[in-house]
Amino acid sequence: MGQLLWELLKNRELIWTLALKELRVRYKRSALGFLWALLNPLLMMGILAVVFSTVMRIAVDRYAIFVLSTLLPWTFFSQSLAYSVESLVGNGDLLKKVRIAKLVFPAAAVLSNIINFLLSMIPLLLLLAIFRFPLHWTWVYLPVAMLSLILFTMGCSFFFSIANVFFRDMSHIIQVVLSAWFYVSPVIYSLDFLPERYHFYFRLNPMLYLLNGFRLAIYYGQLPTWQSMSMSFGCGLGSILIGYAVFRRYQEVLVYYV
Amino acid sequence: MSDTAAKGGTRIQFENVVQRFRVIRERPDTLREVFTRLFRNRNSYHEFEALKNVSFSIADGETVGIIGRNGSGKSTTLKIIAGVYEPTSGVVNVSGTVAPLIELGAGFHPDLTGRENILMNGLLLGMTRQKIRACEQRIIDFAELGEFIDSPIKQYSSGMIMRLGFSIATEVDPEILLLDEILAVGDAAFQEKCMARIDDFRQRGKTVIFVSHSMSAVRKICQRAILIHEGRILADGTPDEVFERYDDILHKPIGTT
Repeated sequence: MGQLLWELLKNRELIWTLALKELRVRYKRSALGFLWALLNPLLMMGILAVVFSTVMRIAVDRYAIFVLSTLLPWTFFSQSLAYSVESLVGNGDLLKKVRIAKLVFPAAAVLSNIINFLLSMIPLLLLLAIFRFPLHWTWVYLPVAMLSLILFTMGCSFFFSIANVFFRDMSHIIQVVLSAWFYVSPVIYSLDFLPERYHFYFRLNPMLYLLNGFRLAIYYGQLPTWQSMSMSFGCGLGSILIGYAVFRRYQEVLVYYV
Repeated sequence: MSDTAAKGGTRIQFENVVQRFRVIRERPDTLREVFTRLFRNRNSYHEFEALKNVSFSIADGETVGIIGRNGSGKSTTLKIIAGVYEPTSGVVNVSGTVAPLIELGAGFHPDLTGRENILMNGLLLGMTRQKIRACEQRIIDFAELGEFIDSPIKQYSSGMIMRLGFSIATEVDPEILLLDEILAVGDAAFQEKCMARIDDFRQRGKTVIFVSHSMSAVRKICQRAILIHEGRILADGTPDEVFERYDDILHKPIGTT
């Protein structure tokens, strides 16, 4: 863990520049540029709001905010993973030519999505104002919730980026896994929409705990229970420890396989 | 940066270095292949020794040309010096900073401007942001890019990209400069400038390793040449001696020496 922090710190300028590059390239050729980072969650939310509150008639007060509170962190997670799974293979040419710390690529993929996530808070705040929704004091908990989610995401990114070097199927598998994961996670619904007998299975999903804090703090104005907080932090910690251990184990040989 | 090695001390030392690769006949790239492989014989790769017991040492301030036919192990040697590959066996000692100019402009992104790529490339080569800022103007001037510097580099000619790459890598001011067949591009005037800069490197006691097929370029830059053939060192001496030997093997089919 100390090793990880040291490597991140040592390469911080490179990681930061790579992350900015990724954002810049992502938005560069579009007419609206960075505005897309703000528009995307709004449009996504618009679709979901129409589908769920008018077509499927889910009775949730101000469903838009209910959904957005978990959709934004979920998008951060899934986008980070989608980007980082290709990050080592995509930079294979470079890895074969220059000696650089391999972790800068998945780390930059995650960082660029952290920036994107922070930008997407702006449309959320805008919506709160439009709906005259209260800005609960529990927002102060969000950095803590975010920390757990970042740890979890980083761990997954490390794991899948290096797994993809050895098995190129990973990038396809991850797409399918992410879309399945989206529906079994309480993003567009919450656990109490479901019959009690299924709850046990849904509680095995780390995303339940990781997203829980966001919805409680933003939508309900409550803090999660201690158990839920420690579960989400535990999931984050477990993920980063496993992910980084696997990454370290294989980072020296990956150059022969990219 | 370590300046510990005294002038004339050893910069790079290879002792019985062996680099073995698994050359894949069919590497299991996908899970399906892993599963099918479980039921078939597993020998779908063969081992290939890119370097077979290579030993040499290079001192401070030497400019050494590495020559040999395609696939002889030249680039592998450079990559080991750069630290990209860990040798399979043998000892490698490299002291000081290395600018791995394995390929000019590795890591350039076509959508970024020249200036943005300077920052990116400099960081990849191990410079700090502050240091890059400080020498940015010198890089632009040397590369003769003028106002193109703020255009995306996909609009550059290949010569411009090469000039920019060379300019960044030499501005890193490493103790060891690795050049892999890079002076083939660029016009005569710019080649002169590159030569002058390499010469300046040498005079400041830095080590330059230069891989090339061009006899004249090696003669011009290097006082010493090493001939690698099929993973072994065949000759090591002045460029004239070594090129004589190179001529001998050049006309033989591979595998007969």
